[in-house]
Amino acid sequence: MSLRTARILTSIYLALALFFVTWPGLKPFARVEPLVLGLPFSMAWIAGWIAGSVFVLYGLDRVERRYRDGEDS
Amino acid sequence: MQQWVVVSIIIGAYLALTLSIGLLAGRKSSDSVTGYVAADRSFGLLVMYFVTGASVFSAFAFLGGPGWAYSRGAAAFYILAYGALGMAPFYWVGPRAAALGRKFGYVTQAQLVVGRFPSRTLSALIAGLSLIAFVPYITLQMRGAGIVIEAVTDGNVPIWLGSLVAYGIVVLYVLASGAMAVGWTNTFQGVFMVIIAWSLGLYLPYRLYGGVTPMFEQIMDVRPEMLVPPGLTATGEPWSWGAYSTFIIISAVGLMMWPHLFMKAFTAKDDDTMRRTVILFPTFQLFLIPVFLIGFSGILFSGGPSSADFILPYMILETGLPAVVVGLFCAGALSASMSTGDALLHASASVVVEDGVTQFVKLDDRQRRLLMRILVLLTGTTAYYFAQDAESSLVLLLATAYGVISQLAPPVISAMYWRRATTTGVLAGLLAGTATSVFFYFNPDLRPFDMHEGVLGLIVHVPVLISVSLMTPIQNEKHLEGFFS
Repeated sequence: MSLRTARILTSIYLALALFFVTWPGLKPFARVEPLVLGLPFSMAWIAGWIAGSVFVLYGLDRVERRYRDGEDS
Repeated sequence: MQQWVVVSIIIGAYLALTLSIGLLAGRKSSDSVTGYVAADRSFGLLVMYFVTGASVFSAFAFLGGPGWAYSRGAAAFYILAYGALGMAPFYWVGPRAAALGRKFGYVTQAQLVVGRFPSRTLSALIAGLSLIAFVPYITLQMRGAGIVIEAVTDGNVPIWLGSLVAYGIVVLYVLASGAMAVGWTNTFQGVFMVIIAWSLGLYLPYRLYGGVTPMFEQIMDVRPEMLVPPGLTATGEPWSWGAYSTFIIISAVGLMMWPHLFMKAFTAKDDDTMRRTVILFPTFQLFLIPVFLIGFSGILFSGGPSSADFILPYMILETGLPAVVVGLFCAGALSASMSTGDALLHASASVVVEDGVTQFVKLDDRQRRLLMRILVLLTGTTAYYFAQDAESSLVLLLATAYGVISQLAPPVISAMYWRRATTTGVLAGLLAGTATSVFFYFNPDLRPFDMHEGVLGLIVHVPVLISVSLMTPIQNEKHLEGFFS
C-alpha cells in the first residue's frame, strides 16, 4: 500500500469514527440492547471505534515505517 | 485499629513512595532549562506511554467520570469518545513539532507559534490563555485529592489538610526535579490507576448485582433513560444532541493543545517513541470502561452521596471493603489527581516564564529556572486557595477550560501546515475566537443548538484567521523556508 493511500484510509477511518460517535451518526446506535460483553450497545459501539483505531494506526505505522526506511537507504 | 487509621497508613506509605521516586528521578536530569522543561528530550516508550496516559486521566476521569455515569448516565460516554480522536492526528503533528523543536530549540508550543509568527503580544496572549485554563484545572485536581482523603478517613482528615499534604508533595518533587520527576512518578501512578480501576470496576458490579450483564439488565428495567446517549443533564432532564456532540468535538480539538500534553512532543526521545505512544493511547482510553462501571453500579444502590463527584469513595465505603483495599483505592485516585496536577503545575510555570516573562525581560538560564520554581509555588498556592470552596462539578470545570485551550489549535496547526497564514491573521483569529467563546460562556441561552461555547468560538476563529491572512501580505520566503523545508 502506498503512503498516500494509507494516510487517506486512516483519515477516512478517523472521520467515520467522529461521525459515528456524535450526532447524527450515533443516533441509530443509541440504544441499550443487545448488550455486548455485558455493556449497553452504545457504550460498546463507542469503545469499538476506539479499539479499532489502535489497529488502523498500527497499520498506518507499518506503511509509514517502510516508507521512512526506504528513504534512508 | 480503626479502619481510617489503616487507610491513612497506606496513603502515607504511597505518598512517601511517590516522593522518593520523584526526588530520585531528578538526579538524572541536567541542570539547564532544557533539562527542567523537556527532561533533556530523553523519554522512552514506557515512560511516554504512562506520562501521556496518566496526565490525560486525572481526578476528572477518576471521580468525575463515575460521577457522571452515576448521575447523568450515558452522557458520560462523551468522555470515552473523544480521547482517541483527539490523539490520533498527533501521529503526524507530534514528530513535526518535535523536529521544529530540535531545529530551533523550542520547549513550549507558544515558542513554536511565535517562531513562525513573530509577535510578543501573541506570545503573551497564549501564555495568558494557558494560565487561565490551567488554574481551574489544577484547582479541580487538588479538590479531587481532598475529596478522596476526606471521604475515606471518615472526615478525620478534612479536605484542606488532605489536599495540602498531597500537593505539598507534588510541589516538592516538581520543584526539585522538573520534567524528569513528572515522567517517572507518572509511570508509577499510571500503572497504579489502571490496576485499581479495572479491579474495582469489575468487582463492584459482581459484588452488588452478580456481574456486569445483570447490573445493566436491572438498570434497564428501572432507569432505561440512563443508558441511551445523549443521557441526562445534571438536573435529570434529557441532554441535547448538540451539547453531547460538541463536547466531544471541543475535547478532541483541545486535548493535545493542553501545554502539558503538547510539550510532551519536546520531551520524547525520538519520533518513533512518540508515534507508538499515539498508537497505544486508545488502549489507555478503554480504562474509562471500568471507571464508568463503578458509577453505574451506584445507580440502583440505596442512598447516595451528597454530590455525584463523591460516588466512587461512597461506593467503596458502603460496600464494606477491607481497609487495605480502601487504602489502595485511595492511593489510585490520588495517583490520578497528582499525576495530572504535577504536569499542570510544571507546565504552567514553564509557559509563563518562557512565553510570558522572557518575551519582555532578558533572563539567563539560572534565573529562568529559579523563576519557574517560584511560579510553581505561586500557581500551587492560588489553586489551593480556590480548591477550598469550589461548588461546581469536576467535569464541568474541565469542559469550560477546554473551550479556552482549544482556541490554541488553529494557530498551532497553521504555524506548522499553512504557508499562507500571517501574524495578523493568527492574532485576529485568536482574539475573535476567544471573544466569541467568552461571550457564549456568559450567555448560555443564546447558544445555537445548545453547542459548546468553545466550538462556537472555533466557528468564528477559523474563517477570521483565513480571511485576514489572505488579506495581509505573505511572510517572506526565507522565513518560511525554515519551517517547510
